[in-house]
Amino acid sequence: MTAFVQATVYGLLQGGLLALVAVGFSMVWGVMNVINIAQGAFVLLGAYIAWEVNATFGLDPFAAMFVSAAVLFVVGYLVQRLVINLVVNAPIYITLLLTFGLQLLLVQGMNIVFTADYRSIPTTYASGSVSIGAVEVPIGRLLSFGLAVVITLLLVLFVTRTRTGLSIMATGMDRGAARLMGIRARHVYALTFGLAIGLGGMAGAMIGTVGTFNPADAGYYTLLSFVIAILGGLGNMYGALLGGLLLGLVEAWGGQFLSGTWVNAIAFAVLVLVLIFRPSGLVGKAFYSFRLEV
Amino acid sequence: MDRIPIMALSGAVTLVLVAGCGSRGAESSGGVSGDTLTIGASMSLTGSLAREGQLTKEGYDLCVEKVNAAGGVTAGGKKLKLKIAYQDDTSKPDTAAQLVDQFNDKGTKLILSSYGTPNTAAQAPVVERNGQVMVDAGGADDSIFHKGYKRTFAVLSPASQYAASIVQALNDLAKPRPKKIVFLSADDGFSKTVTNGGTATANKLGFTVLPSQYFPEASTDVSSSLNKVKGQKPDVIIGSVHLVEGVAIIKQAHELGVKPPGGFAETVAPPTPDFPKTLGKLAENVLSSSQWSPTVKGSDKIFGTAKQFQADITKKYGHTPDYHNAEAAAGCLALTLAVQNANSTDANKVRDALAKLDTMSAFGRIKFNALGQNVYKTMSVIQVRHGKPVTVWPKDEAEAKLIWPGTAS
Repeated sequence: MTAFVQATVYGLLQGGLLALVAVGFSMVWGVMNVINIAQGAFVLLGAYIAWEVNATFGLDPFAAMFVSAAVLFVVGYLVQRLVINLVVNAPIYITLLLTFGLQLLLVQGMNIVFTADYRSIPTTYASGSVSIGAVEVPIGRLLSFGLAVVITLLLVLFVTRTRTGLSIMATGMDRGAARLMGIRARHVYALTFGLAIGLGGMAGAMIGTVGTFNPADAGYYTLLSFVIAILGGLGNMYGALLGGLLLGLVEAWGGQFLSGTWVNAIAFAVLVLVLIFRPSGLVGKAFYSFRLEV
Repeated sequence: MDRIPIMALSGAVTLVLVAGCGSRGAESSGGVSGDTLTIGASMSLTGSLAREGQLTKEGYDLCVEKVNAAGGVTAGGKKLKLKIAYQDDTSKPDTAAQLVDQFNDKGTKLILSSYGTPNTAAQAPVVERNGQVMVDAGGADDSIFHKGYKRTFAVLSPASQYAASIVQALNDLAKPRPKKIVFLSADDGFSKTVTNGGTATANKLGFTVLPSQYFPEASTDVSSSLNKVKGQKPDVIIGSVHLVEGVAIIKQAHELGVKPPGGFAETVAPPTPDFPKTLGKLAENVLSSSQWSPTVKGSDKIFGTAKQFQADITKKYGHTPDYHNAEAAAGCLALTLAVQNANSTDANKVRDALAKLDTMSAFGRIKFNALGQNVYKTMSVIQVRHGKPVTVWPKDEAEAKLIWPGTAS
């Protein structure tokens, strides 16, 4: 029983971290109908920025993640305005190819600048844990889980209570109508992409704190984001959080009750089931579900 | 000038140009062009094995530098400068195999292997088909050598010895002797062979071996496996892993409060510079097997002794050598010596010379059995101390005594 509770707790915390990785990807897909294959590379870029800030200035990664977020917000804004915007009206395959190319460039760039060494951002507390009975709760993962929840709630408030947030959602629903209402779609798209990449940067800082990273991990985080976005559904800011938690739990329980080598197969089996019974994802809005049909 | 002669002239020029571009004449004899002998090496410079690939490349590069500083390699009565042509295989076996074909198309018959069992296992049949010859400095799985290949020779000890040597060291040195051992293993071929070899030795020596736990290759999350073994209370956890999984085991065991009284041992990861760098104090006292240690007996004309090799790597790359550096340099040395002994760069003659090679070197004895494996070299066992690998077994190579139990201080 203890082993089951331990697996559940760890799975939930791991799920929170995964949600943080995927929330930006899900938002860009939902609002802009762009599948950002470079998401994983941006997440890792965030990890490297936090690592550099930590190594140079000694700043704790939970503070350094804001530097990652700020830098990547600017990078994301510019990438959207100067690059992706050129093909934003093209079929989804074109943006898919473009972001795939971006990913290759970023990964190779990180290989050159940071080398392929595995890195981790050292802290005195993140790999420690708090014991609750016989169950260990890892501190670093608990903090990143809390961050994922807080960010999700803030995003919900942002898109429902602020003019900018409402304009993002409006543009996602009908760009033409939004333009007629005076919304500058180009700016809104760039803002969305910047926000998404910035959040990815924060996730990168967390990954670097609780685990290890090197440029080759980019594809893995993009794949995770893709799975989580589909599991959670688009058009709802809670989607990524729920998708991440579900994936974390499924992997933890699968590994606990079956052979550990089945983890990926089980996760993808759940994905197939969700697509069969809830094609728009757990909490996705049906309006966006056509976007799942790439 | 009328039209036909112009066309004829341009046709002739084109023919000459095309013939010139496509000529393999200069490189047709085993990769020799002018006074340079080119060896082909597809290398994992990007992708999941990029770190190990980089360490392997460092070993190859140092070998080229040392061989050329010593005047190059003699073949056919001619001194040739050594050069390695690298291509990035992105850590993918199919790409590594294709690159061997590409080298063959360019007339390069002498090959140094990529890093890792999957890549090398994919390259070996291509080498066989093309009539090339390959020295394997990065693929240790025994399965590569049970397929009847005649043109692949591995300088490194086979995978079955990786965990077996750790178990033997525990049996010889650990007091009190641990009773229960469990293997946490990645599910790739190399790691499974490591686990099987370690389990067989542990059973033979009378240890209780708990059921092994497997997880997907290159996992960064091994929490499920750790959670499962926690309740079984093993005395020692042995990870049959590469770097990324090895780091995950130590990190997540700390998070989950998995503390075997004897500590941890792992293959591949602990001797690499990245292991202590990413784990800090948690890396202390973790045991591992190593293909090489600076206390290895033997020397050769190119690298001198193991201590000299250690000094050369430290000077050139700013880090202490790990065994990936050493096995790569050993592979390049074996190929160079075979060319010299054959007095030729012809792939068949070099193959025969490799089969007969029996030499001592800074990496220990290099001699291949009929399968192409170097089973004459023993593996050593190291323990991480203050972030550096220190040899603790076998006794005649030990730099220090085993700290036991090996739980991190």
